[in-house]
Amino acid sequence: MKEKTVSSRQSLFSRIMNPKYIMVYATIGIFLIIYIFGAIMYGSIGFTTLRTFVNFFTDNAYYGISAVGMTMVLITGGIDLSVASVQSLTGMLIAYGYTELGISPLITIPFAILVAVGLGTLMGAAIYYLNVPPFITTLTGNFLARGVCSLISRKSISIDHPLINKLAGIKFTLYKYADGEWVKIKPITSISLNVVIFIVMIIIGTIILQHTRFGRNVYAVGGNEQSARLMGLPVGRIKISVYAFNGFCSALAGIAYLLVVKSGWNMALQGGELEVISCAVIGGTLLTGGVGFMIGTMFGVLLKSVIPALITFNGHLNSWWGKIATGALLLLFIVIQSAVVSYSGKQKQKK
Amino acid sequence: MPEQDNQNSQRALLEMKGIEILFPGVKALDGVDFTLNAGEVHALLGENGAGKSTLIKCLTGVHHKDAGTILLDGKEITPTNPQQAIDMGISTVFQEINLCPNLTVAENIFVGRQEFKHRIINKRARELMKRFHLDIDVTRPLSYYSTAVQQMVSIARAVDIQARILILDEPTSSLDENEVQLLFSVMRELKAQGMGIIFITHFLDQIYAISDRMTILRNGHLVGTYGIHEMTKLELVTAMIGKDMDVIFNLHPANLRQDAGNMLEADHIGAPGTIADISLSIKEGELVGFAGLLGSGRTETAELIFGATRSMKGSMKVKGKEVQVKRPFDAIMSGIAFCPEDRKRDGIIADLSIRENIMLAVQAKRGFLRPLSRQEQNELADKYIKALSIATPDAEKKIGELSGGNQQKVILARWMATQPDLLILDEPTRGIDVGAKAEIQRLMLQMCEDGVSVIFISSELEEVIRCSNRIVILRDGVKAGELTGPFEGDTQNKILQIIAEGMQAGGEA
Repeated sequence: MKEKTVSSRQSLFSRIMNPKYIMVYATIGIFLIIYIFGAIMYGSIGFTTLRTFVNFFTDNAYYGISAVGMTMVLITGGIDLSVASVQSLTGMLIAYGYTELGISPLITIPFAILVAVGLGTLMGAAIYYLNVPPFITTLTGNFLARGVCSLISRKSISIDHPLINKLAGIKFTLYKYADGEWVKIKPITSISLNVVIFIVMIIIGTIILQHTRFGRNVYAVGGNEQSARLMGLPVGRIKISVYAFNGFCSALAGIAYLLVVKSGWNMALQGGELEVISCAVIGGTLLTGGVGFMIGTMFGVLLKSVIPALITFNGHLNSWWGKIATGALLLLFIVIQSAVVSYSGKQKQKK
Repeated sequence: MPEQDNQNSQRALLEMKGIEILFPGVKALDGVDFTLNAGEVHALLGENGAGKSTLIKCLTGVHHKDAGTILLDGKEITPTNPQQAIDMGISTVFQEINLCPNLTVAENIFVGRQEFKHRIINKRARELMKRFHLDIDVTRPLSYYSTAVQQMVSIARAVDIQARILILDEPTSSLDENEVQLLFSVMRELKAQGMGIIFITHFLDQIYAISDRMTILRNGHLVGTYGIHEMTKLELVTAMIGKDMDVIFNLHPANLRQDAGNMLEADHIGAPGTIADISLSIKEGELVGFAGLLGSGRTETAELIFGATRSMKGSMKVKGKEVQVKRPFDAIMSGIAFCPEDRKRDGIIADLSIRENIMLAVQAKRGFLRPLSRQEQNELADKYIKALSIATPDAEKKIGELSGGNQQKVILARWMATQPDLLILDEPTRGIDVGAKAEIQRLMLQMCEDGVSVIFISSELEEVIRCSNRIVILRDGVKAGELTGPFEGDTQNKILQIIAEGMQAGGEA
């Protein structure tokens, strides 16, 4: 690596073993264990194919997109319970706009994003200036978005617009190079637009968090808000921006969901905010703030896909076992997290 | 310091004139002047509540002054928030570490600054740490390191910001002797570079070791600014508290009555994981000091006696009667009271009034079926506010708004109100100023004269020796020795020796 410069005394090993990555490693480790288990059990019936792997991304892409923003919110020590309602509202605005009012999605999509970002900004401002706990503020936002959604329509409204159909139909088929020519991978594996958005958002999130001043400030606020203020960081701007960004991610996730179901429904994605939060938490983001990585969140999303996949491949188990396994996993991670936190506390005392 | 003459000829870096700050109901600062030269260490002294922190907060833009001027390099400034002060080159290191535990060492030093690329900040942080003689991995999270290291990192952060004025507010309270020396050498280096340093500490020795001048505040007023050699320690303390210090240094434990019986007999009590086995007896009206290093088992022994940790073996007698102490309530009912070490966490309930805080233990002892009437409560509160001279306008003030010393007195009052036979005080004088310390000590001795037994735990050997009838020395969770007063001049050495050698040097234990 390029780190072999003069200044670097550290070996690559000690860089990798940095304790701040423990949680991410735990997530990746558990994903690998489950994946390998699946490969051994169901490898012969297609568990190890690339298509199955890509499907892990496809299945929960809209949750994944939303989890990018959620991870950032959680790192600041906040929480956002409004994301699923905002996703539902986004879908509703676009579907109702075209099907009932005849407004092109070209107009309603930017409008829906604006609404979501606006709501995020508003909630962030309430949290910072009015000192309302994030839980309460965003719960209010949740009810508000869901309410507006039901106000627009209480029926499921389908949308059949060329642009939406086209976006939903985008597929990047994967090829491999074999025997001197490019051939399609068998079984045919293709990546949908949602997966592309998901991965791009993970990359953008990583860049923001790890390589910008803003990202560092986000961690600082989550680590100790009072300190961050005394260090002269613009705490208010940081928090509000994070909720606004999360609003943007929710809108994007709402659009991704619309591409899957091609309809808007006021009751869509109920309880989805908890799915999104659990993706981030399983991915190693601390609910108390200050710790979390986008790559961890991505594996959190994958973990939530791989478990139902195992059940599908098994063929006999009730699909609710998926929920139970996810719950157990969540519990496990919270236990690991508090163990890590208390362990590092003890380490400190020893030195 | 020999450079005294140079100091005087130097221009003033910072001048604060006639600073006045009003808090609701009080004048926190009244016409305070303060000058800081470039290249000097200027100690800011005063008791808790004298206005040191207020003055600093005014300078750093946390509080806003109601009158007066602040001149930096002869130009008037009015910082309105911490960031502005930092931009003007005024940088502060607080007693509590104000860093983010989840960020790496390097990130903590550079967050909020121009540079943010990992490679560059890691390199610069390493250079800085080298200057502080700290060999640590700057890419690890801050929480990975000890409080002392964290304190050094926060100083490094303050120093690396191109600061011209560095304010150190009690920076040494979590440092050991070597680390203090390290900090001093860094301070001397910075001073040589022309930085002006404002140094606040409770440790008088440190003031004489490093400062050039000192400014003393009392009750929001300026007492004066003096060269470091113009005042002896005794004069300094007298100036700070405005009382004659003889009272303090003349405190002596009362002689025990000949017929004094045993108040507490603990016979081989212990709990796995804390104190394996300890035996102890305390006479009526006796003050027993616990000495020992941090983690030697002083607090743990106290918790065992009080039932905060349940003893798994042995037996305990109070006034010759066997008692079963399974939980603190049992101890309270048998007349034992315990004032815990961490005042903020275990002691005060910040949002309740002084009256309510005093009342708590009495009410608990009576049981909730027999509530104290408001009248009784008021009488009780007023009685102790007067007896302990707690500085407050009335009993309804929130305890959180009092200074540390006064909070400690309220907690003392809480337990005194239960009229205990045995009072355990764990570090009652930590973090409070000399005057309040003396008063607490005087109160302890007063109680002993009234026949109450006291266990006094403190890290300051001097005050343990001054107040105790008998000193129990603990080491690694066992009784390492015991010394009975009256104590001679070399007691301190004897105790240190016992701590160092353990059982070999143990007395009658």
